Amino acid sequence: MDILIYGIINSFSLALMAIGFTLVYGISRLPNFAHGALYVITGFLVWSLIHLLKLNYVISILLALVIMGLIGAAIYRFILIRVRGMATSEIIATYALGLAILEFLRWGGFKGMTYTLPVFIEGSVNIVGIPVDFQRIIVIAVGIVVVSFMWIFTHFNKTGLALRGMAQDEHAAMMLGIDSDWMAVIAMAMGSILAGIAAITLLPLGNIVVEAGYNVLILSIAVCIVGGLGSWVGAILAAFMIGFLQIITVAYIQSHFHMVVALLAIIVTLILRPSGLFGRQKELEERV
Amino acid sequence: MKGKRSILLVGISFLLIGLLSIPTFSATAYAQGKPIVLGAPLATAFLYGWTAEKGLKLAVEEINAAGGVTVGREKRPFKVEVMDTRDLEPGVPVSDALLVVEKLILEKNADFIAGGPVRSEAALAAMDLLSKYKKVSILSTGALTPAYHKRVEAEYDKFKYCFRISGEVGWLVTGEFIPKLMDIKAKLGLNKLFIMVQDVAHARATGDLTAKLAGEKGWEIIGKEIYPTGTTDFSVGLLKARKDNAQVILIVMDMPESSVLLKQWFDLKIPALPFGTIIAAAEQPGFWKATEGKGEYCMASVVNAGNAPSNATPWTMKFVDAYTKKYGLEPEGYGASSSYMIPYVLKDAIERTGSLKSEDIIAALEKTDLMGVYGRIKFHPKNHQVIPSVDPAEGAVGTIFQWQAGKRVVVFPSKIAMGEIKLPPWMKK
Repeated sequence: MDILIYGIINSFSLALMAIGFTLVYGISRLPNFAHGALYVITGFLVWSLIHLLKLNYVISILLALVIMGLIGAAIYRFILIRVRGMATSEIIATYALGLAILEFLRWGGFKGMTYTLPVFIEGSVNIVGIPVDFQRIIVIAVGIVVVSFMWIFTHFNKTGLALRGMAQDEHAAMMLGIDSDWMAVIAMAMGSILAGIAAITLLPLGNIVVEAGYNVLILSIAVCIVGGLGSWVGAILAAFMIGFLQIITVAYIQSHFHMVVALLAIIVTLILRPSGLFGRQKELEERV
Repeated sequence: MKGKRSILLVGISFLLIGLLSIPTFSATAYAQGKPIVLGAPLATAFLYGWTAEKGLKLAVEEINAAGGVTVGREKRPFKVEVMDTRDLEPGVPVSDALLVVEKLILEKNADFIAGGPVRSEAALAAMDLLSKYKKVSILSTGALTPAYHKRVEAEYDKFKYCFRISGEVGWLVTGEFIPKLMDIKAKLGLNKLFIMVQDVAHARATGDLTAKLAGEKGWEIIGKEIYPTGTTDFSVGLLKARKDNAQVILIVMDMPESSVLLKQWFDLKIPALPFGTIIAAAEQPGFWKATEGKGEYCMASVVNAGNAPSNATPWTMKFVDAYTKKYGLEPEGYGASSSYMIPYVLKDAIERTGSLKSEDIIAALEKTDLMGVYGRIKFHPKNHQVIPSVDPAEGAVGTIFQWQAGKRVVVFPSKIAMGEIKLPPWMKK
């Protein structure tokens, strides 16, 4: 039973981490390697707003998410727009940006274990004899809300439909009057906000450390590769596969191999089905 | 014409600034003598790195303020050159730390290597480099592997340059952790042990040795979990411990994420006493605030006395007060007091021998007998490991404390203990 409960929690954690990455790639074909850095920066931003500006926790969270959205939009508008369409340059630019943010935070003194965010609700509850703290239940709730919101937004909202149109066929969408750059700005802003939501939900379970940026990036990439780059459904399915495999590994093999699962999933996917479970971009090449 | 004159003026100014920066032309530096450079390869973003840097700098400041070091007839100041090895970060290769050690020797002209490298693997690899450059090194933080002093003993002529002034796993386990576990067994009636270790050499070695010896002494070893550096979720491992009725969780982790383990332990109300034989996060005064008090009852070893307040020797609280005054918080953990002692031990050796030559310093260090912050400091003449003890009058003593109501209360060794172990309310029958 503990495997089922903690498997679901771990899967939603992975889905939350990866959904922003997959959204940006799905819409603008931009591999945002600064995703992990955006996750960490949100944590430090909320911490700073609470402890330095003495703002209320909820206000700090909302303000941080707005700032993250602006940061995401600015990253596209001032940096990525210049290298759009040049795949290698996009990777280098976003990776360099991520590194610069993380190392700047470290240089700025954000090191050690003293940076933490408070949990939303203190305490734990027993679910069929297994203790689960409320923050983990909130992770599941936030995961469900985010996934549902994304589905509703992309199926019933004009901007959401335009984003979907871009994801399906950029040229056809442009012919229908959808502004490609503006959609990419929105995608980057939303991707950053989603990274922020993941950080705000997951960081109260631990502490805010710069190194988390690298871990989150690796896990997001693993989920997106297994699910199929750019496929939201694939990402969620992959998050559940990797999430459960990790918990089963910890329970029956060794905690030591926890991270190996994600890396192994990348390797196996790249060998057997390079486009991932739901990726379509390389299907034809694979068949050939 | 005017432009040329300005360029000439700027050129001359730069020349003068350049000349003044050379010690021979600088009146201040000349008066103080040529500095004795302590090259410190440290992982400065981590507890064991920054505590060592602070300890070293505090001692150097005190020694320089008191007139410096007498080398023959000359008075010379110490100078600390710190370079970041990043060797405690996950995935950072040992070769990076070695490059830093080499840079300190070749570019910063370090007379001695002090403090690190911090990670055991890097410290072991650096031994060959120290031997190649015949550079005396005193290790004081991070690296706890017994292989370090065993290598010195096995190949003395090659590795005689390597000293360690802090603890090592062999003694910590046999001389401190096992006696404390036996004390817990006798006084609190607990005997089921669950082990959680980080996947690094010293932690694995500590976990294995403790499990073996505790098992031989009547402890039931319920299970062992090994976590990669950087792990942030320990819930499944903790649930395993709970399911198997563990009564004490032995933690050996030097990563900052170990504070997460304690938060999760509290949230899940795991009925087992957390005993962090090495738990970097819990060592620090900021741990209480960082865990919002959830780390209460966690026990932690800080390897050497002085890294938490106690009255081990008359110098202990003097050091604690000086550190607190300079940095605004008490010594934060392993690496502070031992690194603080390095400049004093070197000063003593240099003044006795009157030379900076490696061979002379080695001979002098082997004869060191100094009452320091954490007891009597003497090096084993064959393996250059500081001689440990549970009595500060006999040797270097360690410290195990427990977090109680926001304070680090020393509970071991008994000679310096300031309180008794308490159990969390959900463990009381």
